[in-house]
Amino acid sequence: PLGPASSLPPSFLLKCLEQVRKIQAEGEVLQERLCAAHKLCHPEELVLLGHSLGISQAPLGSCFSQALELVNCLRQLHSGLFLYQGLLQALAGISPEVAPTLDWLQLDIADFATNVWQQMEDMRVAPPGHPTQGPMPTFTSAFQRRAGGVLVASNLQRFLEPVYRVLRYLAQT
Amino acid sequence: ECGRIRLSDPIIRLGDSVTASCIIGRNCSHLDLESEILWKLESELHPGGRQKRLPDGSQESTITVPHLNYTQAHLSCCLYWGNSLQILDQVELQAGYPPPVPYNLSCFMNLTTNSLICQWEPGPDPYLPTNFTLKSFKNRGKCQTQEEPILDCVPEAGKSHCSIPRKHLQLYQSMGIWVQAENALGTTLSQKLCFDPMDLVKLEPPTLEALNPSPVEAPAQPGCLWLHWEPWKPGLFITQKCELRYQPQLGEASWALVASVPSKTHHHELCGLLPATAYTLQMRCIRSPLPGYWSDWSPSLVLNTTER
Repeated sequence: PLGPASSLPPSFLLKCLEQVRKIQAEGEVLQERLCAAHKLCHPEELVLLGHSLGISQAPLGSCFSQALELVNCLRQLHSGLFLYQGLLQALAGISPEVAPTLDWLQLDIADFATNVWQQMEDMRVAPPGHPTQGPMPTFTSAFQRRAGGVLVASNLQRFLEPVYRVLRYLAQT
Repeated sequence: ECGRIRLSDPIIRLGDSVTASCIIGRNCSHLDLESEILWKLESELHPGGRQKRLPDGSQESTITVPHLNYTQAHLSCCLYWGNSLQILDQVELQAGYPPPVPYNLSCFMNLTTNSLICQWEPGPDPYLPTNFTLKSFKNRGKCQTQEEPILDCVPEAGKSHCSIPRKHLQLYQSMGIWVQAENALGTTLSQKLCFDPMDLVKLEPPTLEALNPSPVEAPAQPGCLWLHWEPWKPGLFITQKCELRYQPQLGEASWALVASVPSKTHHHELCGLLPATAYTLQMRCIRSPLPGYWSDWSPSLVLNTTER
């Protein structure tokens, strides 16, 4: 059941909405650059490779409006952002055309994760201790890094859509 | 070694006194050790140093310049050798002031370069080489405690602005920032600012374009204009509000303002204008409801209202 949405300050929600839009825009640029530079334009063609590389999608079950559990939703949101920080770091050395965009994206996701973590701390619901990164995929070729980039960017966009919806819902209640 | 000057302090405050001593070694060949040691400050000869013989037989002369009014001056230790004045050693004196307190520090977040650009006023020239450094730290609250220092930003020589790159910033967390000025006579700090970098974002202006509505949609009314604008692309993720100003191209009329142009639709109908008149239009936008700075006004667009 929905926790007290009012416990989230409006400025926090407005900033988060802006950060999501910023990351979404950066993610689209990353996808466009991977497509333009390496002709890797369709993540659906790389699903098998994604499984073999172990590129997972971050769970967001607590954030769906019908069964929104605010604290768990914030925790899942932070864990997801933390996962994507790790995945993007694992893509380091992807290619000169894409590297700058990857750097901006990492910084923006790290900013967003910090914002969410500090809000949880302010609400005294932050998990004990700082999160530790789980095993990350190992990319053994330039192709794998670029394909991994397409998959991670696509997963990230699909992760951010429900995040944006729930934030907008919280901002309007 | 014939002559060696020693100084109380090579860099002093302008107008203060400076004391120097010059020792002439007894093994300085061809020299009559009883000669009077003379001092030259720039081109002015200053006899009358207090001269004495040291136990090892060398001569020492000491001089005090009561008020040094040069910001830079050469002080020479000399004596006459035959009829010619010989310089045996020379030092450079520097005088000036401690650095003034830098002021008017202001910053804005530039999304084109993805950096925080800060500028300040250095204050009056202290006449001494002075280093300015933009210092900052990340912080959670209102910048009362310095948590995580950010790399110092050193401006180009002579410049009073510096740019902190995105990788050193957390756009949505507060940071404290100030300017430090330092020279040989001291250090001063500017007033400290505390802000989220993103709250200082300054957008680039939108691009205005004429909108030619099809006659069905909006039959051309005499006192109306239709315009369309394209928001600045790097700022699309930011919710904004925009304002429009317009004035007839001829005559002395001042700008009229449309305070809040709905920002979702990107087009606007302007009515109540003079018929058959050329109007100059400009628009600017600002991050809203979150804080930010107004963009500059857009380049002008000139549109003409139709005849009656």
